[in-house]
Amino acid sequence: MFTYLAIAILGISALAGVFWRPGAYAGTIIGSAYFILSGFNPADQMSYFVLIASLVWIIVSLYSMSYDRKYGKWLAPSLALMIMGMMIILQSTNYLLLITGWEIMSVPAYLIVGLNRRESSPAFTFMMFSEFSTILIIAGSVYAFFVTGTLSFSYVSSYGPLLLISLGAIIKMGMTPFMISEWLPIAHGNAPANASAVLSATMTLMGVYVIMKMILQSPDNMGVGYLFLAIGSVSILFSSIYAYISENMKMLAGFSTIENNAAILSAMGLYLVASTSVLREFIFITIIIFALAHSISKTGLFLSIGNSPGEFFGQSDHPTSYTQRVGTMLTTMSLSGLFPTLGGLATWMLLESFFMEAYSGGATGITAIVIGSLIAMGEGMAMGSMMKILAFGNIFRRKLETKQEPNHIIISGVGLLLIFLFGISVLIVSGTFLSGIPSILIFNGYMITSRFGPADFGLISPDYILILITVFSLVAYAVFRKPRLREVPVWNGGAVEVDSYTSFAFSNNIRLMLKRLLRTKTGSLGSSVTVIDVFWLLMTDIGKGYKAMSKFITLRIMNSSIGWYMIYMIAAFMVIMVIAVKM
Amino acid sequence: MHYKFGEPAGRYIGPGGNYHVYSSTISDVPPEGFEELPVHKMAPGEFNFQYGPSTGGLVESAGLQFITPGEMINSVQVDPTYKTRKLKMKGLDIERAILTVERINGFHASSNTIAFILAVEEALGMEPDEEVQKARILQLELERIRSNFEVLKRMGEPAGFGVPVNQIGFLRERVSRIISKAAGHRFFFGVNSPGSALISNSGLNEKLSEIRKEFDRIFSGLLQSKIFLNRLQNSCITKGKFLTGPAARAAGLRYDAREDSDSLPYDETPFVPVVHEDGDIFSRMIVRGEEIFNSFDIISSLGTVRETPGIKVEKGTGEGSARVESPQGDIFYYVKVNNGTLEDVWYVTPGTLNVRAFMESMKGNLFPDFHFNWESFGIWISELGVEIQ
Repeated sequence: MFTYLAIAILGISALAGVFWRPGAYAGTIIGSAYFILSGFNPADQMSYFVLIASLVWIIVSLYSMSYDRKYGKWLAPSLALMIMGMMIILQSTNYLLLITGWEIMSVPAYLIVGLNRRESSPAFTFMMFSEFSTILIIAGSVYAFFVTGTLSFSYVSSYGPLLLISLGAIIKMGMTPFMISEWLPIAHGNAPANASAVLSATMTLMGVYVIMKMILQSPDNMGVGYLFLAIGSVSILFSSIYAYISENMKMLAGFSTIENNAAILSAMGLYLVASTSVLREFIFITIIIFALAHSISKTGLFLSIGNSPGEFFGQSDHPTSYTQRVGTMLTTMSLSGLFPTLGGLATWMLLESFFMEAYSGGATGITAIVIGSLIAMGEGMAMGSMMKILAFGNIFRRKLETKQEPNHIIISGVGLLLIFLFGISVLIVSGTFLSGIPSILIFNGYMITSRFGPADFGLISPDYILILITVFSLVAYAVFRKPRLREVPVWNGGAVEVDSYTSFAFSNNIRLMLKRLLRTKTGSLGSSVTVIDVFWLLMTDIGKGYKAMSKFITLRIMNSSIGWYMIYMIAAFMVIMVIAVKM
Repeated sequence: MHYKFGEPAGRYIGPGGNYHVYSSTISDVPPEGFEELPVHKMAPGEFNFQYGPSTGGLVESAGLQFITPGEMINSVQVDPTYKTRKLKMKGLDIERAILTVERINGFHASSNTIAFILAVEEALGMEPDEEVQKARILQLELERIRSNFEVLKRMGEPAGFGVPVNQIGFLRERVSRIISKAAGHRFFFGVNSPGSALISNSGLNEKLSEIRKEFDRIFSGLLQSKIFLNRLQNSCITKGKFLTGPAARAAGLRYDAREDSDSLPYDETPFVPVVHEDGDIFSRMIVRGEEIFNSFDIISSLGTVRETPGIKVEKGTGEGSARVESPQGDIFYYVKVNNGTLEDVWYVTPGTLNVRAFMESMKGNLFPDFHFNWESFGIWISELGVEIQ
């Protein structure tokens, strides 16, 4: 009973938020903290999702206290309600609760996106994909009910429910099978930054949670695993490219979300096809660490973007504080897969997983090495997009603001949290993968060892890395002190005119190099370079086709003609009869 | 005067003074389509990248403003006026004026001086004898060989071709030394005057023959470098009609003052216009390379060239004009002489059309193409940044 207290607190917070905005956030903090206390158990790996999501909600709520003043009274209650939906998902013990939570999570998100913008399209786009996702989850749940005879979560002997529910969750994670579509960046990019953080960091996390839950209660199926690998690898590549060329900071972060979720989906695909149980265990831990790294980093990134007066790089000319720069640097480092942040460890573990599977040889081994390489390419591209957001959003030609806002401290706190989590990451990893080399002062239990059998494959010691960086930095500082800086005026070829390098120019190399893929068009005089998102174009074409078909049926066939209506009723009746008899 | 003022006739040579010069006439009517290039409107994401006037990649001071969305060049403007020289020529006597003309572009002093002197000779009604005309052809072709060596050398520099660049640079120096020995000055200063040319080709052909062999070997090597050729081929294509010199001939246009100007008797030499069709950097390079060989042939066909001593020029009155093919294209001079002093003088430099063609050819290409392209036109800012007073 006490488990549901957190959900109740969030419900009350949502109501309170209508009248008193800070009340909603205070309630969310309390509810989330209680949710961790009641729902997180280090021995239960699935409960890490409770910890990850709750940490994000607490950070976002703290940030929102001063952030959301300009967004009216509906943002706070909507956010609380959305979080409540996610709590229901994480606490659900049956499919009905899962679907209920899924919808409670989705509807306020639609409201937030809709209220934030003058245009209605981002909200409708979000709603369309959300509902499509819900339909698939309902279909999967019905299928599971028919297979197991119960709505409670239990072992399902068929892989059908796993496939259907996973496809629904994958849509929520920003991927549409075999392609990416930019619905997620459009929707997440059009919400206030605090809501974008919750959408990107935790709503997509719900997708990961649901897929993992279904994997654990479904039979092993190589086909589904390969499907996940295919969707994940294609999505990771495209989303990282689109992130790199995006000029809207929030949409860039949205594409980054797809890229990270695609990496996690690839890991889940690998989990399904992995050749040894040891490797599967390692992959499971990888998924949790990757999800943790992504959720916290993405929260920090969106909060940092939220401090910018505009969403486009061109509008980002405001002064930034030192603390915000440090925080943004650490979050972007994590999203780039760099040490000493948790994202570095997550990326290392992910690539290790694929390279270990490659050793198994055969079709799976070849697939693993190909997809591992695609992921590595995507990570490289992600580093470029993260450097773009760090440089053009925070540092390049920005004045340093000496005044410290509370939100700046929160952003830097998120960055430091990523280092802290990196330091304590050995606590998340099970003992099977922990060891040490005492002879070089890496004590037992402080080194993560990747392995797919009895022998070690690779190793890393987060604490050793942290200590080395700290010690060498301190020694360098003690010896050399603060470097003496000398500033000189910019030499511009002897000319007076000075113009700034643009973020667009930063990523234009990819637009030009991949012009066949991105359908880059170079305009004539007076225009510049434009790219076409072929996937989104296809999506909108399908949408238009569907609309035209509906119009045709409405006007030509189902046009209140009693004759056609009778034919339809008879046909529908016969189909239902056939299905009923078959079952 | 050979060139008549009137309606446009023939191909366009370029603007000069207050006029527009065509291959047959001088007109105040610009050719159709030769209006000012439209100013590029900055699109979102583009920025203005200033290159020069004082930078390592440029030999002369030119300000280039690239408008780019990154990597690709959408527009470039060239400002040659950073070191504008105001040269006083009007009111000078011919002898003094020649000293100034020689220094408009020292590297191409003979092209400028010979065109100027031919115009003066026409103005004064002088008929230069055959020996002098042969000596002038000798100078122009020696200058062309050296200038094309310089262009090829500079085109190799951005590719990091240290060996061929220095080898061609050495050939250029050897040609300069040959010129110095034959003419008394490596840039032909003090060689030319009306009715006279102080240059001989004694012992010159043997030395040039060695250089030709050397160049043949180096040039063949350059044409075998796939990396180099990939950078040059299909890059920075220009095929407009407002072209001159090697840039025009590289774009399939048979434009050459040696053929369509009767200022010098090239019809008595084995001169053959080198024409290629593609209009890219590679075509401009290959035209220059092949023209070097043709210049060697022309020089060796001249027979004996002796110094023709200076003659006393009568103070006369009249107007004249002349056009010669400099290594970069047509150079045209107009003079009006009044009692032995210059009343009016203006000239057309190939740089005007070459800069325009360069700006058009850069659109849609990448910045790494810039240096190759810039050098392929052989633009000399010193000719452009001049105000004759």
